[in-house]
Amino acid sequence: MEFDRFHQFGSLLLQDDFVLSYSGYVTEDILEAVGATLRQRLADHVDSPRQIRNVFSIFVELMQNVIRYGTDGPQPENECGSKESFGLVMVVQKGNCLDIMSGNFIVQDDAEILRDKVAFLNRKTPTELRTLYRTRLRQPPEANSKGASIGLIEIARRSSIPLQCDMRYADDGLCFFMVKASVQGAS
Amino acid sequence: MAELNLSATSRTPAVSLSKAASHLKIEGESYPEDVNGFYMPIMQAVDRYFADGKESLAVEIHLIYFNSSSARALTELLDSLEGHAANGASITFKWFCDHDDDITREFAEDTAMDMEHLKIIIADMTRDG
Repeated sequence: MEFDRFHQFGSLLLQDDFVLSYSGYVTEDILEAVGATLRQRLADHVDSPRQIRNVFSIFVELMQNVIRYGTDGPQPENECGSKESFGLVMVVQKGNCLDIMSGNFIVQDDAEILRDKVAFLNRKTPTELRTLYRTRLRQPPEANSKGASIGLIEIARRSSIPLQCDMRYADDGLCFFMVKASVQGAS
Repeated sequence: MAELNLSATSRTPAVSLSKAASHLKIEGESYPEDVNGFYMPIMQAVDRYFADGKESLAVEIHLIYFNSSSARALTELLDSLEGHAANGASITFKWFCDHDDDITREFAEDTAMDMEHLKIIIADMTRDG
């Protein structure tokens, strides 16, 4: 990568008050390492234990979704031939709120289903989300089921505002799917 | 084995199942890479505990964090304990929740409502330091 583009990448990041940023292949080891870093950053900069807990929970659920449901994307397979999902995860401070964002490549049809699931969850009240979560707990986890997964429901419950998502169509029938949750601090 | 003594790791809780003390304690954090690989042996150990003739068990859960996959596994464990309680085992169940963690408390309350024979007590987790 030339220095110009590398510098651009850094500048983009610094436009926001970011707490943590990871971009690359997302694996369980990465989740553990980045999670530990996030915990430390939150402990150093955030007062509210409740906010820390919700941000960390959302981070874990988003990362695990990237690991489980992401595809390789446009990047080539790694040397060991194993499949790793390319993804972005970012935690950004916005006033009293912490935004948690994730982005990764998924198959276009799945992206559209996921977008509909997010819209479905956003129409629910907190009580309805609680009931939905309880119902889904005893149902087997199915990656392509019509109902929202408990991971996504958990993210929706812990987010202070409705979940936001967007997608960008990419080559080879893929889509870069992005989710944003937001957790308010103590008022 | 009807007994267990697992040390906590950064992603899994300490688990101790003791015949001598008649207790099952799960303490720490739970977001393992392989949820079934972690929780299945615990459920199997509990089944063997009762199969070996033990009639009572005191369960305590102190989880400062658990992910949604763990919630599903914990529900399975609770359903299994409910089954043993229905068969006559005397089981007390104490779930320690942080006072400002509504979602975990709601999970414990909802699970308690689903149980007929298992009595789940929700207690306040005191934070150290």
